[in-house]
Amino acid sequence: MTLDRVVWSMLQEALGVYRDSPRATAWLRSHVERYTEPVRIAVAGRSRIGKSTVVNALVGDEFTPQSSFVWYRGGTEPRAQVFTGPGRPHEVAIGRRGSRNHVETGQFDRADRIVVDWPARTLRDVVLIDTPSEATPEQVLGDADALLYLMRHVQDEDLKFLQSANDHPIARTAAVHTVAVLARADEIGAGRIDALSSAKQIARRYRRDVAVEPLCQNVVSVAGLLAVAAKTLREDEFAALRVLSSLGREELEDHLLSADRFVGEQFPLTMEPAVRQALLERFGIFGVRLITALIRQGFDTQVKLTGQLVQRSGLGELRDSIAVHFVERREILKARSALLALDVLFRMEPRQNARKLMADLERVVASAHDFRELRLVAALQSGRTKLPAELQAEALRLVGAEGVAPLARLGFEYEADARELREAVLDALVRWQAQAADVHAPQDHRKAAQIVVRTCEGLLPQFG
Amino acid sequence: MSNVTVLPNSPVWPNKTGIAFEAFTQGGEHGTMSQVMAPPWLDVLDETIGACVTHRRPDLEARLREKRAQQLDPKLRVLVVGESKQGKSQLVNALLNAPVCAVGDDITTTVPTFVQHADTPSAALVRNASAGGSIFHTPTERIAVPIDQVTKQAAAQHVVRAEIGIPRALLDSGLVLIDTPGVGDTRSAHTASTFATLMQADAVLLVSDATGELTSAEMTLLKKVMEACPNVTVVVTKIDLVPSWRSVVERNRALLARAGVRAKLIPVSSALRLRAAKTGDQRLNAESGFPELVTCVQSDIVASAELLARRAVAVVASSAITQLVTPLREELTAHDSSRTVATISTLQEAQRRVDELRRRSARWQNVLNDEMADLISDVEYDLRDRTRKILREVDKTYDEADPAIGWDKFEQWLEDNLNEAATTNFAWLMERAEWVAAKVAKNFPVYREDLIPGSVLPDDLLEPASKLEKPKIEPFSMPQKLFTGLRGSYGGVLMFGLVTSLAGMPLINVISLGAGALFGGKSILDESDQRLKRRQAAAKAAAQRHVDDFFMKFSKDVRDSGRHIQRSLRNHFSTLAEELQETLLESARSAKRAVQDDQTERERRMREGRKELDKLVTLYKRVQALGGPAMELTA
Repeated sequence: MTLDRVVWSMLQEALGVYRDSPRATAWLRSHVERYTEPVRIAVAGRSRIGKSTVVNALVGDEFTPQSSFVWYRGGTEPRAQVFTGPGRPHEVAIGRRGSRNHVETGQFDRADRIVVDWPARTLRDVVLIDTPSEATPEQVLGDADALLYLMRHVQDEDLKFLQSANDHPIARTAAVHTVAVLARADEIGAGRIDALSSAKQIARRYRRDVAVEPLCQNVVSVAGLLAVAAKTLREDEFAALRVLSSLGREELEDHLLSADRFVGEQFPLTMEPAVRQALLERFGIFGVRLITALIRQGFDTQVKLTGQLVQRSGLGELRDSIAVHFVERREILKARSALLALDVLFRMEPRQNARKLMADLERVVASAHDFRELRLVAALQSGRTKLPAELQAEALRLVGAEGVAPLARLGFEYEADARELREAVLDALVRWQAQAADVHAPQDHRKAAQIVVRTCEGLLPQFG
Repeated sequence: MSNVTVLPNSPVWPNKTGIAFEAFTQGGEHGTMSQVMAPPWLDVLDETIGACVTHRRPDLEARLREKRAQQLDPKLRVLVVGESKQGKSQLVNALLNAPVCAVGDDITTTVPTFVQHADTPSAALVRNASAGGSIFHTPTERIAVPIDQVTKQAAAQHVVRAEIGIPRALLDSGLVLIDTPGVGDTRSAHTASTFATLMQADAVLLVSDATGELTSAEMTLLKKVMEACPNVTVVVTKIDLVPSWRSVVERNRALLARAGVRAKLIPVSSALRLRAAKTGDQRLNAESGFPELVTCVQSDIVASAELLARRAVAVVASSAITQLVTPLREELTAHDSSRTVATISTLQEAQRRVDELRRRSARWQNVLNDEMADLISDVEYDLRDRTRKILREVDKTYDEADPAIGWDKFEQWLEDNLNEAATTNFAWLMERAEWVAAKVAKNFPVYREDLIPGSVLPDDLLEPASKLEKPKIEPFSMPQKLFTGLRGSYGGVLMFGLVTSLAGMPLINVISLGAGALFGGKSILDESDQRLKRRQAAAKAAAQRHVDDFFMKFSKDVRDSGRHIQRSLRNHFSTLAEELQETLLESARSAKRAVQDDQTERERRMREGRKELDKLVTLYKRVQALGGPAMELTA
């Protein structure tokens, strides 16, 4: 039985055991419901790091920032609900403020959370949760299955947040739910035109940093403003930017030296200061510099430009990361959340007849080789752990990157009989045992080999 | 800065005064006023150092001495601190219009970099000469390197700082700009080296970029910096990148005001300044905000060095005094110091042990008396038992045997048996005596090596008992036998002669003679039988007497030795007990004395402490008068 089936049946069993406790039943019901939902991804980070900007870029529409938790779910019709305390949610309208959408929460002083249903392609597979910066790790992770953590450079405070996010026995054995994002990638390079590639390099370095590595699955860099611009660039803005790029390079550079200069009086073009101000606010000084440079380089239609911006801003990489690490791993992330929820329940309401379930939970967590496999897949795919090419392919196949059925793991394309499979497993086991014991191999190499060995050992009993 | 050359009331600092003098003769424009007289802060600082010495706090003393040396140094160290990637190195570069510090998108600065004036550009790395030594007091060595190689080589192990010399008007007055690694980076060694440098700073530029207001971590850093060096200017960098930098600056001002920090806040753009330097564009330079920063550095830091020094000294000295006062006050408020508690508990323990000894010595005496009484009666009974057995044996023997035959042998046997009985009995006595000694020792209050006496044996024991006297044995001699035979035969002859005379035979005939012979023989036999019986009775009586004598004598001996043993045990144990009691009493007495001494000692210390505290408070007030944060400190 796969992990998600096991956990699902545990949830059902727990519902039976706790059917007389309304609180526990409500808790379990919500988790049963959540189990079949898309992955919930919380976006967290320090204040003014650009959480809402990244969420906007991912949703593909701009929303005005709110001071409470905002959930963005897929839906056919735009719709917004405000949850305040217990009781039914209140329907509110979604209006426009300038170029942005605005959820009209004015009548509610304090909303526990705002849920926005929005028709967007990204939201088909995920639910995004924009969190307030003062939220604690527990609040952030309580409702989320996965975490996008935003930061500039990795600082102690950020590490502390990530560590406390993993500070639970179950979470620790299964730290597979975090992708770190170097947000504001444009500022990392002090607004230089090559800032983004520089930021990408730094992200790559952090991927292998001993302090960061165990806490997250991947580190990517994103220039939030540019990413939003890529998704929401309007005709009039594009026209204005084209006009700007028609100016001589030197001359434009002079006026792009600082934000003050750009919106100043002595601008050579007949362009309203208000328009320039708006451009600056939307794209930042770096965005204007990069976009004008790109237009000058020949990306002069809106489609071409948008493609370039998605790629350069790091939005593409971020989306890929979300797809690989979160969406494709939905079952495991959901199982992980459900295990955490069951653990909470057993500790809050311990019962005699839940003994078996508690033992099951312990067994599942202890033997959750799935989580270790998942981490290895992430490490191999992100290049954090390097194996020789042919070994890498085999390792990925064995730990289930191409499918978790024994046949797929062992690379058979036809229905082989048990004896054949058994021989294949034994063969792989012996080879990988040798890899695991190879004293000359680097540490990460051996660690990876140990996980593969464990996988092979797990496969073996299935074939007698 | 106070270019003090020679201080009348302070030890001479060869290096520092040398430099100071040089700087002064070179025409330092701030030196004239303070040259004649030591500035007031120096007196206060020296007194604080004195207080540290009195209170035996060499750590504080060293810190203050360092501060003192640094204040006397004409160099003005301005530390540039902030979280990583805020543009600290770029700020230094822009201030000097020269790429002295490397800048990069990733973490670049790894060691503090000291930038100071030099006639020709030069650079050097300072590193610990001994690898792996402690960070304090390790000898360092300087290695000259090309300026553009500094950053690359600074990443090497054991480099503690980089030093760069460059000819600049701004640095002319002895200003040293110190670029530091970012605080709060994941590599904590960087943060540590920044805080180590902080101790040497005369003024601090705290750098935060305009992309966000001061974070809580930065506010914490600011407060930490203020504790070591109160002269802080907050520099907001990268204003060229941020359209809304003005509102960020406003929010920062509000944050500082709310936290009660009086620090100047200057927004700048290093990029614009460097660009302006390249193109010579004055307007751009003005836009960059640097002119204001340079003015601030020159007027607020360089020109008002005296004020800065006073403020810095006030902060450091007051923190030192606070540290001195805290333990002192604790001592004064604590009513029962732990030492007194300890002495009192020693006293109680000693008294308890004396009582215990008294209680238990009664017990061991009882044990000794009881056991010895038992012992003596047991031993006597045993002896009696043994002698009775011997006597019974003697009786049995002389029911049959003739004492006339083999008396000597009997005598020997009796002697041997009695001796054996005596030896066994006595051995048993000794055994029992040792056992009693052990038992008494067990009931003795304390255990000691010499508790069980080596020997309890009386010396003059077992005097030989009186000789066995031989019983009187009458010999049955031939004439006696003849006489007895004749006496017996006379009756026979007469009796049968008379009978046969009736038959007409003569009185003396064959029959009467035969009967006479028979009668004679029988009376001899009877007589000798009787004699044997008498001899046997005499022998038994002699043996009885002898054994009685022996018993009398020996039981007396045993009883004597029992009493002797008892006496010697009693003497032994009571001597020990007396010794012990004396020791315990002595320790109790000394504990009592200690308690009394403590009382007086504490009172004396209280008085002295109070005096010291008053002195420190006065000193603290003087320190406060120098300027600096107002803190409450009362005696």
